[in-house]
Amino acid sequence: MRLRHLWLVDFRNFPSVELEPAPGLTALVGANGEGKTNLLEAVAYLATLSSFRGAPGEALVRAGADRAVVRAELDPQGEGRGSTALVEAELHPAGRDRVLVNRQPLRRASDLAGTARVSVFSPDDLALVKGGPVHRRRLVDDLLVASSPRLAAVQADLERVLRQRGTLLRQAGGRLGADVATTLDVWDAKMSELGDALGQARASLVDQLEPLVAKVYDQVAATAAHVALTYHAPWRVGGLAHALAAARTEDLRRGVTTVGPHRDDVAFAIAGLAARTHASQGEQRSLALALRLGGHQLVAEASGTPPMLLLDDVFSELDADRSAALLVHLPMAQAVLTTTGPVPGALAPELVVRVRDGRLEPG
Amino acid sequence: MYAGPVQDLIDELGRLPGVGPKSAQRIAFHLLKLPKEEAVRLARAVIEMKERVALCARCFNVAEGQECGICTDPRREHRVLCVVEEPRDVVAVEKTHEFRGRYHVLQGAISPIEGIGPDQLKVRELLARLEPEQISEVILCTNPNIEGEATAMYLARLLAPLGLRVTRIASGLPVGGDLEYADELTLGRALEGRREVGA
Repeated sequence: MRLRHLWLVDFRNFPSVELEPAPGLTALVGANGEGKTNLLEAVAYLATLSSFRGAPGEALVRAGADRAVVRAELDPQGEGRGSTALVEAELHPAGRDRVLVNRQPLRRASDLAGTARVSVFSPDDLALVKGGPVHRRRLVDDLLVASSPRLAAVQADLERVLRQRGTLLRQAGGRLGADVATTLDVWDAKMSELGDALGQARASLVDQLEPLVAKVYDQVAATAAHVALTYHAPWRVGGLAHALAAARTEDLRRGVTTVGPHRDDVAFAIAGLAARTHASQGEQRSLALALRLGGHQLVAEASGTPPMLLLDDVFSELDADRSAALLVHLPMAQAVLTTTGPVPGALAPELVVRVRDGRLEPG
Repeated sequence: MYAGPVQDLIDELGRLPGVGPKSAQRIAFHLLKLPKEEAVRLARAVIEMKERVALCARCFNVAEGQECGICTDPRREHRVLCVVEEPRDVVAVEKTHEFRGRYHVLQGAISPIEGIGPDQLKVRELLARLEPEQISEVILCTNPNIEGEATAMYLARLLAPLGLRVTRIASGLPVGGDLEYADELTLGRALEGRREVGA
């Protein structure tokens, strides 16, 4: 997508601002706490209707205001292709948000997927490398949905089956009566069908992602480090139905589903060593960025139009050499980055905007 | 808070499905403004329904009397049974005029989260009908969501050894619709359930 014009009213610390980002790179500069990330958050909100910082809706409305408005004019198909769309979101601290696309109410959040799409990198993404498996599953699943929207329904159904199965296991209280057994059989059959489909999709996504991430990593780190991604889903060896049957006694005893896609993980290795435990802080940061940029490329290729790239505080994450390498490598699409320090000279952004206490000034 | 009886009505209305506190308040004040006979007509309709309508002893559809109009209709094909979740699903299938058999209303779908297992549904009653009514086909017409699918699968497994025909309704595209507007999941299902075209 290509963002042409953005208006914010009472969003976070912005009383009222507008921005016309450059077709290529825009840099937002300013000290901490002035609102740079808030601006990225507003753009990302238009694509996902949620905060990439995981903030609740009421946190997005400026203190004392009764609503926030995010309005954007954008080209869903990218620069100069297709028609321009107007997306308007009205956020209320209490109650439901309202979203209009070309003045028509939006029915489902997922309908936005074809209109506004972003790839976000933030310092919190270090959790992809250092955090628990849930972060890595979410990375893979978000990329799956972005490149193949049909899988959102598989994910939602699987979550629902897991909840139903878990409740049944707890209700059984450790005993396997004939009745529990037949009902459990049904949930197991449903879960296997969905789980096998999701496992297959995740495996092939990790296969596609690996070379992209490895390439970006080498460019960012200026080495040939050989980054490897390995999808861990032990249940896939004999299929989920078999794994569930084998784990049934244990599941009943503990009252939870102990095997399945909800326990999957993706392991990262740099030059054969586990990145989580063996990589340096700098290597881990480079890897987190490479994962996001690799994912960005994957979605761009799968959907035919690159999402807009939002890079939050990316220079605080990397040393000077790595920053320069990143800049050279920036994909040819629209991007907005934030930085507290000066914009590195090699970068030459098309537009520099200074963010100061909720206002925007020419940089 | 309003004067006693008004607040009581708001509280009662607020307990209805799909009615929030704001709607409950709006309905209550609407009723307050209504001529007395119109409000009484509504109250009487509620009482009448509760007194005269019960569940059909055979199929558990809503019925005025012992059995519902469909079960007592001699023109209905009695060997084919359409299994649905709720009485409103009977109405939906009836509107098609495509089905001439009888129904069996489960009164829900399997959902442990809501505390509903096979025992809470009219499953045993379904099994008890098969032999005396000489049922030859059971159509599983539960909702195409996770709980409906699970219920259909449960029943299919239960019925499989009994040597009768068990079918599941197809899911796919709405008639008269455009392919480009179909969501991916529905279109995917429709492709899965494709049929040979006779030449």
